[in-house]
Amino acid sequence: MTNRAGLRAGLALGGLIFCLGFIAPLLVTADPYAIHPAYALQPPSLMFPLGTDELGRNELWLILSGSFATLSVALPAAALAFVTGAAYGLAAGLAPTWLDHMLMRLLDAMLALPSLIVLLFFASLVPLNNISLVVLLGLISWPALARLVRNEALAQRGRDFVLAAEQSGASRFYIARVHLLRVMAPVLVVNGTFMVGDAIFSLSALSFLGLGVQPPQVSWGSLLQSALNIIALDPWWLILPPGLLVFASLLAASLTGQGLLARWGNVR
Amino acid sequence: MIRMVARRLAASGLSILILVTLVFFMAHLTPGGPAYSILGLKANATSVAQLNARLGLNQPLLQQYGLWWWHLAHGQLGYSYLLNRPVGALLWRYELNTLLLYALAISLSTFLSILLGLAQGVYFGRWPARFIGAFQLGFYALPPFFVAAMLVLWTCVRRRWLPASGMVNLRLAHPGLASYAAHLVLPVITVTLFTTAPLSRYFGEAVHEELARDYVRTARAKGVGFTAILFTHVLRNALRPLVTMLGLSFPYIFTGGVIVESVFNYPGLGWLMWRSALAQDYPILIAIVLVIGLLTVLGNLLADVVNGLLDPRASYE
Amino acid sequence: MSAVLRVENLSAALPRGGRDVPILDGLNLTINAGEMLALVGESGSGKTVAALSIMRLLPPGARLSGNIWLGGQNLTQRPESALRRVRGRDAGMVFQNPLAALNPSRTVASQIAEAWRVHNGGGKSTARVLELLGEVGIPNAAARLDDYPHQFSGGQRQRVLLAMALACSPKLLIADEPTSGLDPLIARQIMELIARLRRELNMGVLFVTHDLSVVEAHADAVQVLYAGKSVEWGSAKQFFAHPRHPYSEALLGAVARVGQARLHNIPGSLPEPESRPPGCRFAPRCAFRQPDCEAAFPPPSQFGATTAACFYPRPVRDRPAGAETFSTAPPRTFPPQLQVRNLTVRYKGKSGWLRAATAPPSLLDASFALGRGECLGVVGESGSGKSTLGRAVLQMLPYEGQVLLEDTDLATLRGTAGRARRRRLQLVFQDPRESMNPRLRIGEIIAEPLRLQGQLSQAQLRENVETLLRRVGLNAQLAGLYPGSLSGGQAQRVAIARALAASPDIIVLDEPTSSLDVSTQAMLLNLLKDLAAAQALSYILISHDFAVVSYMASRIAVLHEGRIVEMNDTKTLIAAPRHAYTAQLIAAAPQPRGG
Repeated sequence: MTNRAGLRAGLALGGLIFCLGFIAPLLVTADPYAIHPAYALQPPSLMFPLGTDELGRNELWLILSGSFATLSVALPAAALAFVTGAAYGLAAGLAPTWLDHMLMRLLDAMLALPSLIVLLFFASLVPLNNISLVVLLGLISWPALARLVRNEALAQRGRDFVLAAEQSGASRFYIARVHLLRVMAPVLVVNGTFMVGDAIFSLSALSFLGLGVQPPQVSWGSLLQSALNIIALDPWWLILPPGLLVFASLLAASLTGQGLLARWGNVR
Repeated sequence: MIRMVARRLAASGLSILILVTLVFFMAHLTPGGPAYSILGLKANATSVAQLNARLGLNQPLLQQYGLWWWHLAHGQLGYSYLLNRPVGALLWRYELNTLLLYALAISLSTFLSILLGLAQGVYFGRWPARFIGAFQLGFYALPPFFVAAMLVLWTCVRRRWLPASGMVNLRLAHPGLASYAAHLVLPVITVTLFTTAPLSRYFGEAVHEELARDYVRTARAKGVGFTAILFTHVLRNALRPLVTMLGLSFPYIFTGGVIVESVFNYPGLGWLMWRSALAQDYPILIAIVLVIGLLTVLGNLLADVVNGLLDPRASYE
Repeated sequence: MSAVLRVENLSAALPRGGRDVPILDGLNLTINAGEMLALVGESGSGKTVAALSIMRLLPPGARLSGNIWLGGQNLTQRPESALRRVRGRDAGMVFQNPLAALNPSRTVASQIAEAWRVHNGGGKSTARVLELLGEVGIPNAAARLDDYPHQFSGGQRQRVLLAMALACSPKLLIADEPTSGLDPLIARQIMELIARLRRELNMGVLFVTHDLSVVEAHADAVQVLYAGKSVEWGSAKQFFAHPRHPYSEALLGAVARVGQARLHNIPGSLPEPESRPPGCRFAPRCAFRQPDCEAAFPPPSQFGATTAACFYPRPVRDRPAGAETFSTAPPRTFPPQLQVRNLTVRYKGKSGWLRAATAPPSLLDASFALGRGECLGVVGESGSGKSTLGRAVLQMLPYEGQVLLEDTDLATLRGTAGRARRRRLQLVFQDPRESMNPRLRIGEIIAEPLRLQGQLSQAQLRENVETLLRRVGLNAQLAGLYPGSLSGGQAQRVAIARALAASPDIIVLDEPTSSLDVSTQAMLLNLLKDLAAAQALSYILISHDFAVVSYMASRIAVLHEGRIVEMNDTKTLIAAPRHAYTAQLIAAAPQPRGG
């Protein structure tokens, strides 16, 4: 598959998932969390296209409201992480050396641990709801981008065209605004795309571990966890949809990001 | 080289210090605190106060912090609130299990990555490389908990070939090696698949890049054959990014670890971290953060040293 | 004499953007034992592709046709396994950029030994390595067997590559730009080494270069490529004395030489392989073009020992064009403008905790003055501190000493006043593409200094940009393009326009032409000269190329290891150099033709 086709496929898939998360849930008329023990653990049928879970809840409704929960937390979290990381990185890249060193030490400390470990740790500390999850995910996922942006800003800052602008009397702020942001735009957009995928993955993993979206709300991760709890009963219809949705989201983000990278990579 | 290692150690030591301090204060400044999570949210004030006194949580925060370092300096990591056992010993037991799992998985995936990466670099742009690329993209996007669940469904629930969880069959009084091995198969496969994808990708890119370098053309102009060029010239130079990646993935292994170990109920460090997080068992959590931080430093350092040996230029800079 | 290499009707096409683009078109050449043939061409001429295709080293996907006769075999018809036996044994090859051409993580000795062992099996390779290292002039070779490429200097690395190519005593040596990127003195040594080894080993040499002056003294035969086609070939002696093709003549006239009065311009730029003109490929730039030149490719016409593919070859003249030397006017005097006193720059070394950073200063105690409208040339090899000098004058890095612009110490100025004063010193960089933000339009790039000064409306800005573009000889329409779509020469003109936009008093030119082709270089130097004359601009011209500096500058400072070892007006310096290093530099530079 060429990168161009990959980019198109990624954008299309991403759009589809977006619709699934934000438009399809409007079609849910009944209470998705209502329990119907009589219909427990039914495989897919005409009445229940995706079957039912062990409490007799319609899996299709659960998936749709789970999609909304997942995306409505992951997307703002990715946006928060993106803005924080880009701002921190740019600031460090433009700061005087001593300040840059201090900012980088802090960053190193945050990067010394895999983000899931940090997430797990902090998720155990705070009361979990959708807003705290956005803040938590957003404030923990930015250091990698910050480091990238800072390194890129430092590299660009030493390039001849920045020196030329300085020689013409450009201020630091002017250089950041006119030169750095424009040259770094592809890097920022590509990594922003990857961050959306990362946020969806992190939230799903947290939810899978029971420290993400809290009951009675469901999410892709928590649906998988509850299916795993009754895996001895072979509930394949409860495992496939949430798993494939996480897969599709990450695939969409990755294809889009790689496609954009290939498209812009040649401009330095 | 020694200077480089020393500088690295100092910088990373500082990072770990900042990290652990951050973690400690975050843990102890949260409302409620451990007492409520042990006794439940409806606990009355006196029993909470009693428990706090017993755990030393009623002392000033700075004093607790100082005490924690004091104990650490003496090799004590504190007591688990819930299991009421010394954290150090507890960690060590779980750590051994994790090491067993990962030593196997990482060796396997390093071997596979080198094979796949060489093929990908050599056949760049042709179908073998595209095939490998699809595998890599697939395992980047597939969530490990989903793959693990599917593996359990197929090999444990439907076929009953392998045990689904734990490390050993608890019903056996004297479990043999076979029992351990059977429990390891699925976790090792899962971890191997998820580490091979990124590792082979980096290595494949490195091989491709190295093959395009001028010195390869020089070797061809000397009349050296392609296979000889690949193994006597390219391999060593291409290994450097792989080594760096391996060093970096040292702690990330534990990320996958939390998920994989929780799916398979494998009693390793990741599993312990997960249970402790659910139970808010801070002494264990802080200790694990410390251990993983140290592993990060160690991994990076190891990668630097190995790369220093692979690259003659590094030792002179 | 017997032919070592015979190339017949060789054509090569490389895949580019999804289709095959012809790069080389019907090349014929013969090299005899002990003979050096110089294959000369500017970028895009196909010379490197020619060298690589003889060894069948083109990247996969390249298409090749014609015959290559080497060692009794036609290499275009042979399988890879047979080619492997030919490479290194019948023909050795050396490349440009020797650092990249050597494997960084294997010892030099093992890489040379490999070249020997591939064709001769194991055994006594160390002895052969020592012998080879001695032959190419690596001093104390026995002690350096365990050294890695990064431990050798640039010139030594090229010698190592040469040793590798000679390991199996091949009958043919292919040298692809082996001297470009090296300092002039080193380049000359390498050139002389290759010329000597050719005689001693009775080896044929195919010497590929973009620089005619490099091969002038040593080549036996010359072949000039333009846009993939040979335009002139034959005896070197006759070629340099009487070039027949207009391109050859123009190219020879465009090479800067010591003491030259005026360089010959070649208008236009080199065609891309995708858009080569029909008929004579040089026709669109040719001063002697006739209508039929553009209809068909001209047939070769022989004259004496050279042949030119031209309908209207140049007549043989006694004195070639462009050989006039200096005017005899007395040196001009300039009103004082810039004073530099005791300029010293120390770069901080990598400081550890234990080790204070005491690197030797990269510039020591440089003092000079620059008058209004004057051009001061600063010449020196890489690492001599010449770029450092320029950057310090521009206030781009910390220094000791004083830089006075019209009696104001620039270092004491801060804030707006500092910026305004600093703006009066501008810089033109070596790599024009690197000096422009690839995401800004040409118009925005040139307008930047104007905009930073403020107080201009959009319409005024646009008008100013157009005026500036025209002043550097560019079409005003270029303002809407991005730098990526410009040729190197155009890009450098834009860089000059940007410098002019700041209405500077002084422009520091840091190797302004060394990334350009010879024909473009001449045009740019002439432009700079004309601009200076038109508005009393002062230049500090920094270059490794003594001829270029002597062409532009009225005064020259020679930098060697961070110090100004000699400074004098150009004519006196050339006529009577007082420092030995200056004399070497002058001797290594291209000398006047026919003189």
